Amino acid sequence: MNALYSLLAVLALVLAGFACGQGAPARMVLATFVPYAAFAALLIGFCWRVARWAFVPVPFHIPVTCGQQKSLVWIRFAKIDNPSTRWGVVSRMAAEILLFRSLFRNNRARLSGGRLILGESASLWLCSLAFHWTLLLIMLRHLRLFLEPVPAFVNALERLDGYFQIGVPPLYFSDVILVSAMTFLLFRRFRDPALRYLSLFSDYFALFLLLAIAVTGILMRYFTRVDILSVKQFALGLAAFRPGASQALSALFLCHLLLVCALAAYLPFSKLMHMSGVFLSPTRNLANNSRSQRHINPWNAPVKTHAYVEWEEEFRDKMQAAGIPLEIENETEDAGNARTN
Amino acid sequence: MPETLVQIELKPPHGDWRDSHVEFRKGSICYSAAPKNLTALGLPNPRAWQPLDKDWKLPPDWKRIILDGMKERLDKYRSFRLFMDICVRCGACADKCHFYLGSSDPKNMPVARAELMRSIYRRYFTLTGRIFGKLAGGRELTEDVIKEWFYYFYQCTECRRCSVFCPYGIDTAEITMMGRELLNLIGCNTNWVLEPAANCFRVGNHLGIQPHGFKDSLDFAADEAAEITGLDFHVPINRKGAEVLFVMPSADYFGTPHYYTLLGYLMLFREIGLDYTVSAYASEGGNFGLFSSHEMMKRLNAKIYEEAKRLGVKWILGGECGHMWRVLHQYMDTMNGPADFLGVPVSPLTGTVFENARSTKMVHICEFTADLIHHGKLKLDPRRNDRWIATYHDSCNPARAMGLLEEPRSILRAVCRNFHEMPENTIREQTFCCGSGAGLGTDENLEMRLRGGFPRANAVKYVKQKHGVNLLTCICAIDKATLPTLLEYWVPGVEVAGVHELVGNALVMTGEKERVADLRGEPFPAEAYAATTANEAGHA
Amino acid sequence: MSVSGAIAEIVAERWIERTLASYPAEAHALLCGETDPFRNPAGHAIKQSLTTLAHELLGEMEESAIATALDALVRLRAVQDFRPSDALRFIFDLRDVVVEVIGAPPQALEIRIDEMALMAFDQYMACRDQIAGLREKELRLRMQCAAK
Ligand code: HEM
Ligand code: SF4
Ligand code: SF4
Repeated sequence: MNALYSLLAVLALVLAGFACGQGAPARMVLATFVPYAAFAALLIGFCWRVARWAFVPVPFHIPVTCGQQKSLVWIRFAKIDNPSTRWGVVSRMAAEILLFRSLFRNNRARLSGGRLILGESASLWLCSLAFHWTLLLIMLRHLRLFLEPVPAFVNALERLDGYFQIGVPPLYFSDVILVSAMTFLLFRRFRDPALRYLSLFSDYFALFLLLAIAVTGILMRYFTRVDILSVKQFALGLAAFRPGASQALSALFLCHLLLVCALAAYLPFSKLMHMSGVFLSPTRNLANNSRSQRHINPWNAPVKTHAYVEWEEEFRDKMQAAGIPLEIENETEDAGNARTN
Repeated sequence: MPETLVQIELKPPHGDWRDSHVEFRKGSICYSAAPKNLTALGLPNPRAWQPLDKDWKLPPDWKRIILDGMKERLDKYRSFRLFMDICVRCGACADKCHFYLGSSDPKNMPVARAELMRSIYRRYFTLTGRIFGKLAGGRELTEDVIKEWFYYFYQCTECRRCSVFCPYGIDTAEITMMGRELLNLIGCNTNWVLEPAANCFRVGNHLGIQPHGFKDSLDFAADEAAEITGLDFHVPINRKGAEVLFVMPSADYFGTPHYYTLLGYLMLFREIGLDYTVSAYASEGGNFGLFSSHEMMKRLNAKIYEEAKRLGVKWILGGECGHMWRVLHQYMDTMNGPADFLGVPVSPLTGTVFENARSTKMVHICEFTADLIHHGKLKLDPRRNDRWIATYHDSCNPARAMGLLEEPRSILRAVCRNFHEMPENTIREQTFCCGSGAGLGTDENLEMRLRGGFPRANAVKYVKQKHGVNLLTCICAIDKATLPTLLEYWVPGVEVAGVHELVGNALVMTGEKERVADLRGEPFPAEAYAATTANEAGHA
Repeated sequence: MSVSGAIAEIVAERWIERTLASYPAEAHALLCGETDPFRNPAGHAIKQSLTTLAHELLGEMEESAIATALDALVRLRAVQDFRPSDALRFIFDLRDVVVEVIGAPPQALEIRIDEMALMAFDQYMACRDQIAGLREKELRLRMQCAAK
């Protein structure tokens, strides 16, 4: 059900995009107003969400340790999986963010009959990694539309991406990988009953939306051959706050644009915020040094404890009988003298 | 794949997790806390009730209490707010929980356990959830939800195994802790957690053993150690001016097989001439506050520093215990520090400065002993442990909240000759919980514990069949209390011992009489005791 | 009884499928698919036990092998959330599986299945008794401690 609803929601967006392509006033709104509104929502929403997290204190020092601690000098410790310094934490986070270290742990790589077997769980790691990296690559490639002159690194990325020069225009590998990885992730959610049980509307929606963006983009590039010059003009105009909707922009492009805007506006309110959340995760971004450096809890509130003196008062007779030393030896003596501590 | 198998896999899930109704079964739940314990601790809503009752006698405004409590915690714990927000439901953690592996109950998947709380969070605390409700993954807070929380948050041992595999480090244990705190606010707690907490608060330890009883137990142990070794033993209590305060879990002096570990400590301290004391006031290292609320944890933990200060010791040494060390390592200094009245711990024998405990001033006994052995300060005869073929069970908290992995292993390698690891993905940071931690280790709950302990037992069974392992060593008081039952059911023939029990067996004390039996009174293998009287028996 | 190993294999496979169907659907992918015995201890135990049982029932009928395999499985199902009847239902499923694979079961096999069922009753009861005993023991130890 969740999957169906989210598919319908994305299809509705696609249709809305095409519909906008038909009438001039709608085109105007979509090309001038919507992108700004969406990116304003993205910017404000993103900052607001991150601020929400950042302003909540981290009262306790709770890293999850995944290797040997640093204790005695002759024991080798796990510098990355159980970092004891800031630099260790940086490498742990880098491994987490660039390589999905923890997800990798899930893998069971096994040698069976001389063949390396990667289980289904390995494909999760592999496809996630492929999906995220190609997504990044594609976003960077888009910079060529917004910047004039095009930065050298963007050109380099493009050349690399289309390295094998298959087809005209050259096929980007990132496109193929992105779509296949996402298809796998989606397929996985449908296939595994446990995941189907867990998946919410938003889980499918994010995937369908990204997939729709990718598909419309691919259609434009390889099939309908969008007029790249007018798109660039439009993008530069947007970037320079001089928006204009040229007649040369196709309905497909407007559809792509609407979907991207929808993603931008939706992102801050969704689980896609994991991209910034991961940096703040207290089980990963703290060094395991809570015994060598005191961690401060800003709201460390006083609590009711059972103080020693009260305790001794209660058990005085029994302690005396058992010969356990007392703080205040005898009631009749001057208690003030005995209480030297 | 055979056709029917395909059919099975494609059979739709039998329900929606948002359906909150759970059927409580005997054997899978813990009894409610007795009102007297709630009163003793000043906790809200003390009353007589049981989880199997229809009416839980919640306070009339329970819903507001829960929501206010959630709001407060969302503003106080970044972990809580973040973990509510960023899960992508990738499922990487799903099959990592021993309770799920043992029960196949889908709500025991860590992510599902967390969703029980998240769905409420979404409904009441997020914009999308308030507008779209169910479509955004929210659900109404009803009494059934409270019952479900009670069921599943007391079916999580806060072991953090799931967190190891989560790409964002989402720690379901943290969510369970919040869930239990919230349940505490409306008086839904279990006796197995709160009675020890109440006893510990008032008397000093979980069983409520009073100071004279505490002294009796230790004197008894000292006598027994004397009998075994022919040397005189004395355990100082509340002695001012000692160098070290030694804190152990109370089970060490009233439980079996913990008791043999205690004998091991005493012999070690006697042999190296450690200037130490124990305390009748801080006679509990364990902290069941960890299983109920952060506030309770702090209240119980405060005694340790207070006592160290009063006695004027230089530093603190802690015994073998799992959750005790979670608190000591990650919470104590923050909660009740700074311990600026203590000195940086230094081993009196080797001169090793424990830099890793520079601020907390508290050293784990395995760190301490491993250092002694490394510097050759102990005379050990590992042959005395030849009747054991040992494996080592990493307890969750030392493994995943400290990284204390090699210290106990290096000790074991020095004190026994037959040692085999369990499979890679069941030890170290991936260790399987005993299934009885976090206040679940009670008898009424045994079936659930047996389920939860099944993955661990399965690995033990494997090394038993492969290497003939007959001893499971560990450094956790809860393990020692509950694993014997578990193994008796799943893998009969494997016993449980603390690491320092084996140290006590192997330790050749100066001037000891000819020892013929180990700490359990079982005779040493013949070749071991023939050699030990001679002085050449040193450690290899 | 002379049934080829290959047929016993098929019987075992179908039997496993049926038995796994007694678990929640969400867990099937794990129980069926995961081959590492430590990542999937329950599925592993089920598969191992049923395979052994199928081979023994259709073949040698070695008493001790059957007892061990049956015990491993009954022990697990005795602590899982099943009513006693559901916990042991898997044994009677074998009849249907055999009918599916080789047609009407021979008299001898019928008898063997009944024998196994009776054995399983004993084992199930022994497990439940043991659990009760273990509970009692823990309780007693606790009382002793409290009295000290
Ligand atoms: C710092 C940057 C990021 C990191 C470290 C990161 C990491 C991850 C990880 C580890 C997963 C879980 C594996 C999986 O289910 O695929 C995931 C899932 C996902 N990420 Fe990211 N991510 C980042 C940025 C982004 C961005 C910018 C987007 C898109 C706007 C995105 C979209 C997704 C989606 C849709 C999923 C869910 C896939 C599924 O449903 O299976 N991520 N991310
Ligand atoms: S591994 Fe982490 S992100 Fe993935 S489902 Fe579990 S808790 Fe959520
Ligand atoms: S902390 Fe342990 S018991 Fe709790 S959900 Fe995670 S794996 Fe399961």
